[in-house]
Amino acid sequence: MARRKFATLKSFLNYIGVEGDRTLFTWVSASEGDRWAQVIKVATEKIKALGPAKKMIKKIG
Amino acid sequence: MENIETKLREEAKRLLLEKKADVIIGYEKGTLPLTATPCFITTPEEADKLVWNNLCTQNLAKFVHDLITAHKNSQKRVKPEDRKKKVVGIVARGCTTRSLIIHLQERQYERDEVCIIGVPCDGYVDGKGLKVKIGGADIVEGTIDGGQIKMKTSDGDKTVALKDVLAECCLTCRFNNPIVSDVLIGSPSPAMNPDAEYNAVKEFEAKSMEERWAYFTKEMEKCMRCNACRQTCPSCYCPTCFVEQSQPQWVGIGEDKSDTQVFQLMRMYHMVGRCVDCGSCVSVCPMGVDLRKFLKKIDKDGWEMFGNRAGSSMEDMPPLGRYDEHHDKEEFIFNP
Ligand code: SF4
Ligand code: SF4
Ligand code: SF4
Repeated sequence: MARRKFATLKSFLNYIGVEGDRTLFTWVSASEGDRWAQVIKVATEKIKALGPAKKMIKKIG
Repeated sequence: MENIETKLREEAKRLLLEKKADVIIGYEKGTLPLTATPCFITTPEEADKLVWNNLCTQNLAKFVHDLITAHKNSQKRVKPEDRKKKVVGIVARGCTTRSLIIHLQERQYERDEVCIIGVPCDGYVDGKGLKVKIGGADIVEGTIDGGQIKMKTSDGDKTVALKDVLAECCLTCRFNNPIVSDVLIGSPSPAMNPDAEYNAVKEFEAKSMEERWAYFTKEMEKCMRCNACRQTCPSCYCPTCFVEQSQPQWVGIGEDKSDTQVFQLMRMYHMVGRCVDCGSCVSVCPMGVDLRKFLKKIDKDGWEMFGNRAGSSMEDMPPLGRYDEHHDKEEFIFNP
């Protein structure tokens, strides 16, 4: 089940030291426009607060 | 152990004579002192090679999958009515039977294609740990007797207690006796110390995010991408591993740190509900990467989140294949 995969992935990433707030999962139905906007707004705020990702980044070139 | 070995050889002979198995995968004495190595036995006479002791390291379930897959591929162009069935016999301790259960649950082969010779287990010697214990000396000769390992080494005679050099996975093993078997050799071994199995993970969880990341990075820097951990792991059997896929290429093959981290992250993450803590990957790793620190977390999550221990029973199906509406936690869901 996908949700179990998400739950374990989030937990594992957190365990190896990747901030939990970088891995966000939720369900939004196509009819829930307001909720969609809210989710994106809060998610963006959280990510901005964390700043650019520095872990597992590959520099090309 | 002598007694178990004698019985094991008798049973192996019988199974081959009665054509209950076409090949038996077991362990024989290794070429280096104090080692045992996998062997494949097809005639009753060879059965006398078989050994069973604390030097039998590798999880043999890997070979069951390899042999059956190779056999099936060889039969593909044979007319269905002419196809031959092959039964693979295997000397299996607790963790090996767990891997077999995973293969069966994942429909890799049928139960009647494998003949399980169950053996009780009291753990195996961590070769790298032993080497450290004797100050890096070379072992010239060695015997295990009455819980003691006696060695002639390049640095004189040495004796080490067996319990001090058992592999980490064995010290806290919960399933050291076979879970399924067709033939059972000897009587069950006493339990190891499963109550302590998550101690190291708990300690690690209590560290700060940055400390955890620093440790992960440090360990992964040791890794040289030899893929030995994947090769030996019974749960790693994809015909084409994501590591080698090129369209798309999931992970770079070079020396970039992030590629190695992603390789490890993905391989380990594919072990959710599938890692049996046999320690084979740890023991084959030439660089001594602390894989277990991470794999054991996956095992712990499987138990705490879904009440599942990989391959612990035929009936308990893989956790990622199902969902429990009433007990699954929802705290991972982002709900602003
Ligand atoms: S993990 Fe358990 S069953 Fe496997 S070798 Fe160690 S003690 Fe034996
Ligand atoms: S990941 Fe390692 S410990 Fe787990 S099943 Fe595979 S080889 Fe065994
Ligand atoms: S066996 Fe060790 S060095 Fe080789 S790929 Fe696995 S972790 Fe890396």
